[in-house]
Amino acid sequence: MYIEEFKKYYEKRHEYAKDFKKKHPDWKIVGTFCTYYPEELMYAAKVLPVRILGSHEPQNVTEPHIFGMFCPFCRDVLAQGLQGRYDYLDGIMIAQSCLHVRQSYTSWDLHIPVDFRYYLPMPHHLQSARAKDFLKAELEKFKKALENWTGNKITDEALDEAIEILNENRRLLRQAYDFRKKDNPPMTGLEAMYMVVSSQMMHKKDHNEILKNLIEKELPNRDLGIGDHIRLMVLGSENDDVEFLDMVETITSNPAKFVIDDHCTGSRYFWNQVEPKADRLMAIAERYINRPPCPTKDWPNRLRLEHDLNLAKEWNVQGAVLLQQKFCDPHECDIPIFQRAFEEQGIKTLFLELDVLVPVGQFKIRTEAFLETLSSEDLF
Amino acid sequence: MAKYKTEPLKLWNKAKEIRQQYYKNYATAHEKGGIRWAGGAWTFDAVPAGLGEDVYSLTSEPYGASVAWNKNFALECQEAAEAFGFARDLCSYMRNYWGSILIDKYVFGGPFPKPDFLWQDHICCSHAKWYQNISYLEGGIPMYCVDMGAGAYKPFAEVTESQIDYIANQLLDGIEWLEKVTGRKFNDELFFEACWNDFRSTSRWAQICELNRAVPAPLEEKTMYSLYVLATLQKSWKVVADFYDELYEEVKDRVDRGIAAVENERVRVITDTQPPWAFLKIFRYMEKYGCVSVGSIYTYGLEGMFVYDKEKHEFNHRPLPPKKPETREEACRMLADWHMCKPEYQHFVHPEYKTLMMDAICKQWNVDGVMLHYNRGCEGLSVGIAEVRLGLLKRGRKVMTFEGNMGDEREFDEARTVQRIDAFLETFGIRKSE
Amino acid sequence: MITAGIDCGAKTVKVVILKDDKVIGKAIIPAGIDTKKASEEAFEEALKEAGIKKEDIDKIVATGAGRADQPFTKDSVTEVSADAKGINFLYPNVHTVIDVGAEESRAIRVDGKGMVMDFAVNEKCAAGSGAFIEAMARALEVTVEEIGPLSLQYKQEIAMNAQCAVFAESELVTLVHQQTPKPDMARAIHAGISDRIVSMARRAGLEPDIAVIGGVAKNPGFIDCLNKDLNTKVIVPDDPEFVGALGAAIAAKEI
Repeated sequence: MYIEEFKKYYEKRHEYAKDFKKKHPDWKIVGTFCTYYPEELMYAAKVLPVRILGSHEPQNVTEPHIFGMFCPFCRDVLAQGLQGRYDYLDGIMIAQSCLHVRQSYTSWDLHIPVDFRYYLPMPHHLQSARAKDFLKAELEKFKKALENWTGNKITDEALDEAIEILNENRRLLRQAYDFRKKDNPPMTGLEAMYMVVSSQMMHKKDHNEILKNLIEKELPNRDLGIGDHIRLMVLGSENDDVEFLDMVETITSNPAKFVIDDHCTGSRYFWNQVEPKADRLMAIAERYINRPPCPTKDWPNRLRLEHDLNLAKEWNVQGAVLLQQKFCDPHECDIPIFQRAFEEQGIKTLFLELDVLVPVGQFKIRTEAFLETLSSEDLF
Repeated sequence: MAKYKTEPLKLWNKAKEIRQQYYKNYATAHEKGGIRWAGGAWTFDAVPAGLGEDVYSLTSEPYGASVAWNKNFALECQEAAEAFGFARDLCSYMRNYWGSILIDKYVFGGPFPKPDFLWQDHICCSHAKWYQNISYLEGGIPMYCVDMGAGAYKPFAEVTESQIDYIANQLLDGIEWLEKVTGRKFNDELFFEACWNDFRSTSRWAQICELNRAVPAPLEEKTMYSLYVLATLQKSWKVVADFYDELYEEVKDRVDRGIAAVENERVRVITDTQPPWAFLKIFRYMEKYGCVSVGSIYTYGLEGMFVYDKEKHEFNHRPLPPKKPETREEACRMLADWHMCKPEYQHFVHPEYKTLMMDAICKQWNVDGVMLHYNRGCEGLSVGIAEVRLGLLKRGRKVMTFEGNMGDEREFDEARTVQRIDAFLETFGIRKSE
Repeated sequence: MITAGIDCGAKTVKVVILKDDKVIGKAIIPAGIDTKKASEEAFEEALKEAGIKKEDIDKIVATGAGRADQPFTKDSVTEVSADAKGINFLYPNVHTVIDVGAEESRAIRVDGKGMVMDFAVNEKCAAGSGAFIEAMARALEVTVEEIGPLSLQYKQEIAMNAQCAVFAESELVTLVHQQTPKPDMARAIHAGISDRIVSMARRAGLEPDIAVIGGVAKNPGFIDCLNKDLNTKVIVPDDPEFVGALGAAIAAKEI
């Protein structure tokens, strides 16, 4: 049914993009890193942003480019470029985020020829009142750069249309996530991941079509028979690890399902909308400033923690799996504090580190033990 | 027979005394009713200077390095941080610092002195998080942090008003914040003076580094670490600015008289990133080959203010601004513009910028080879380092790499590093004297 | 002129005696914990093969991690220089030499005269060295000699995270539980280590021809994976573990 569509697009991301280009010769495709890129401006300039993710395979091409102390994700991402898998890209852009993935961008810039390259200094001090003026000015520059490159004028009408397409996608994804609050959620965590990540790889109009059908025709009556499964939250850094999510959700001793997440490959990506106002660029700037933050931009207060504890409560979570890409400094700075805060709320946590390939056997033993502690609470 | 004359640096002890005075000032600040604050070595320390003349700071990177010198203490700190749940691969200065709080021990003796507020700036992913966690571990010390992430400086990128405004306005907000948390009235005159001292220290240190272009080099990097550190402690302190003026004269005199740091200088190298502090003896080992490290973009450009000249492919000190600031707004903008230009900041945007600067250093400082420390202890200075290596090789430079950690000796393999140095120096056709 | 090279490695001591650019004697002895004793034994054996006395040798040069522990000479060169000289002597067209030893591996880019252009050494971890294969062979309950040929009988390629020897071993346990055929597991092990070695070699820069030396070069399973990853056919000298000692003997002519 509709839910299975997302997996298809996730797996055939390159075919989709190449096909899109064929069907829309007036559009360009830009590869993006991280999720702070202002998609509205790109859509308004007829530029399709596709997020570059890894392929979770061993490789030997990135060692000369990125020192081994940086996260496996940024190396996996760069490997895709070095191996020519994104040869259809017209450009690349990054909105400044963590140092790790910034290197995927800069190495790509140095070694893989593309027509258009853009580094947008997305501010980190999002809690400062000064961030929005600065970001707005940077969006202005980016807008000009896009216009010069594509020859397409970014009009207010085009921006309004782009904002609406993207907002619709965000609204629909939120609606789909709301279904997961049910006692018997009609969607697994793995399916949710496919749903969100495919949206980062497709034109949102195509994605919205599937989402609408899913929400209207499929989710209301879908019964996975998982009402008695342990409800888990998963949170942390980039996570599109199919093998891992599937392993957890197919454990038979104490079955469990992920019902909510906080990942840039999950809810953090789509959570809030652009609140329309006459000053479109300011409206867009505010959206990216106010979205649930990546930990590298979450200071001096830990707003993400508050947000995540709320999610855990609203989605009635029994346990939380904290994941991070190995060597992810921003998350490593947060995790001990998050674990303590979750435990204080009575939510047990399990911490695991992701690599390009996860050691599924070991993780399974640890996850089973964790689920056992969660279910034994019910017993006594 | 020595190739060059050498003699010890006369100001060596004075540098040491200033450093000791700095740490003592911080530890005893409260006894005299003063204020103490903590922040990073990159922070805008000129700003809290406006709170009065009894305001003392503790900068965290030099503190973390001081801990690293003391192997047992460092291990105790690192194990405490790990026991709390912090990952072992995080910045080792940060773990040394957090560990000091957790075991409540100050590396210079006594319990760990708690700061009254935190005043930091954010450049790498860990800078703000470091202090967020200090605040957490200390039970909620007020924290302010300025984001430097406004993009690279000229000539690497265009710098627009809005970029300078973003940083300057955060500083202006920070001044109001400082008044609020300390209850003190901000003294602009003191602030302007401190800004000027900051410009003086950082411009003058860059000029001192330029003197090392001479053959033989009047300074070698191991000594430079003990000199540049004063600017990492408090670049806006008049004592530091004056000291660098004095030091400039002494080093210039050494150049004029042909005094070498290493009497058998034959091969000149530069390094990159912080060294493994507990193993500085590798520099002495290199000297057996007549190999001298004349510096690095780290010792030159973390505190020294340079500009890269694209046309000439040169790396030269940034001259002092034409005049002192006269208004608070002006001072904040001058500070923002000055520190955005910091050489050690540019590679956070793109490694190619660092490659260009390092290649210019190789040219102007008569450098034969580059030793890159792949430093597991610092993601900020190691970011892009592999591309810097490729970029330098492409430009025909000889490059070697060695892995280590500036502050966690568990990640440094001395025997293997020495082997790599041997293999690298063999390629210059030089042999070791026993 | 007669020279000798002695290579004191982590697992074995190798000696090569060279007379007028011809190898007249060589020997390999397990290093054990007493490098001095092993060196003496190896030297004795090589002398015997060459049919000469120690006094006939004009110059001796040592190399290898334990080079300071042998009793014969104070002159030494690093393994990097020794490998470069050794391979250049054997194959002047080789520009990249990959040395996979028991506890360390390295890749060296060499010019046409045997001078080192650049080199890379594996990180402080067993996962990129012969020790890794040994540990994995133990886990599969086969010998080090058997594991290479065994892997060539694989039917299916399995991706394995071979970043760490300890993790890899426990991944192997998972594969065993899944009843994965032994040749497939052996293949995964060699593919993993080959990935690591090729990663490292790319750091030094790959320039053909490429040669592989060190004890692990004798493992056909590993060489097969390397050929695939490098998309070329690597050269393996007849006595790949002696190349370092040979290089030291050549260096002795120059000192």
